[in-house]
Amino acid sequence: MAVILLPSLLAREAGGEGRFEIDAPTVRDALRELPVRDLLFDERGELRPLVNVYVNSVQADDLEAPLEPETEIRLVAAVAGG
Amino acid sequence: MGAAVLVGTRKGLFVLTSDETRRNWSVEGPHLTGWEVFHAMRDPRTGVVHAATNNWVYGATAHRSPDLGESWERAEGIGLPEESGLTWEKSWHVEPGHADEPETLWLGGTPGALFRSGDGGSTWEPVQSVIEHPTREQWNPGAGGLCCHSIQVDPSDPQRLYIAISAAGTFRSDDGGESWAPKNTGVAADFFPDDNFPEVGQCVHKLLVHPAKPERLWQQNHCGVYRSDDHGDTWERLEGNGLPSGFGFPIALDPADPDAAFVVPEEGAENRVTPGGRLGVYRTRDGGASWELLENGLPQQAWQSVMREGMSFDRLDPVGIYLGTQSGSVWISPDAGGEWIEAAAYLPTVLSVEAAEWP
Repeated sequence: MAVILLPSLLAREAGGEGRFEIDAPTVRDALRELPVRDLLFDERGELRPLVNVYVNSVQADDLEAPLEPETEIRLVAAVAGG
Repeated sequence: MGAAVLVGTRKGLFVLTSDETRRNWSVEGPHLTGWEVFHAMRDPRTGVVHAATNNWVYGATAHRSPDLGESWERAEGIGLPEESGLTWEKSWHVEPGHADEPETLWLGGTPGALFRSGDGGSTWEPVQSVIEHPTREQWNPGAGGLCCHSIQVDPSDPQRLYIAISAAGTFRSDDGGESWAPKNTGVAADFFPDDNFPEVGQCVHKLLVHPAKPERLWQQNHCGVYRSDDHGDTWERLEGNGLPSGFGFPIALDPADPDAAFVVPEEGAENRVTPGGRLGVYRTRDGGASWELLENGLPQQAWQSVMREGMSFDRLDPVGIYLGTQSGSVWISPDAGGEWIEAAAYLPTVLSVEAAEWP
């Protein structure tokens, strides 16, 4: 079971819920269970380039990695903009 | 019923409301914080508010509110088919379908794509005939991308639709969107080195159908202001005779007067600010044969820019004209341009204004 934490904009888009507990085989599978998956992935299933995924505080470079029990996934928007 | 204008900005949606005198305005919002609202409208058929929304991290989508902004639902994943090789980049404009089809809506955007919803905006299907249009290879993106920014439905014929794409030009469908014919005859593309009147490639900035005289179309183009009296088959260029520049982005009409139009010229493509160091609206009442400057109440020292969705008109008498600037002001004329009132200032950059009836 992984805990996924969303930033505030995504939490609003998820109906006000910023914390999800999801059981899935991989990090990607877990993210695709979220009600905001269309905001994380484009129509080709590619993670949007400015969405950063942190797994247990380490930036994930492989979304196909198996999801270990007690994992915390934090979604962080790239720091930029104005 | 009161008057309202939905103001889409770089940082959310604002709603300005007034009674029908349109002289005292209240500002409510922002809604949809975190989203760039390229355009929003209240569907006169259903009362639902729809917004074309974009976020630089989370992509392009559409939102709708059945309760005047109290709550919002995001459309289910909007996307282009894999075989097209295209991905959905920006949502630009959401338009109600014909009055006889209250669940139909249209959504246009980048890259030169159109979506149709048959369920009131919950789900959207790409219009294949636009994706696969035989002239697509001749389309070129303007500074705002290859955006489908204008969608018009002929009020007298639900099968007749128009879209405008920068820089591809105007297209008309006579079969409800099954096929599209270029409608750019007489419209200049001065930026091409050789053929300045190609079949497609024109940089139309905004296209409108007159609501009471639907064979009459108006467009503000990169290369002039134009009017058509034959459903877009041919166009007449209208600048000169009082219009300081043919370059501009928005255009507004008067539902009670098919010969009237309102534009906000800019100096030109290389210097996109209002000419003469003032904010001025120009009005014709003779089908574009002559233009007059409207400035009563508008700032006399100003270098302003108004985006293609930054102008709107209502259905009241006299017509109200609405104007939103990139510097965050909303100017409203309650009397067809005779007088202008600053209804709001210091908003985020205004991307769109759309007049609406409001309970």
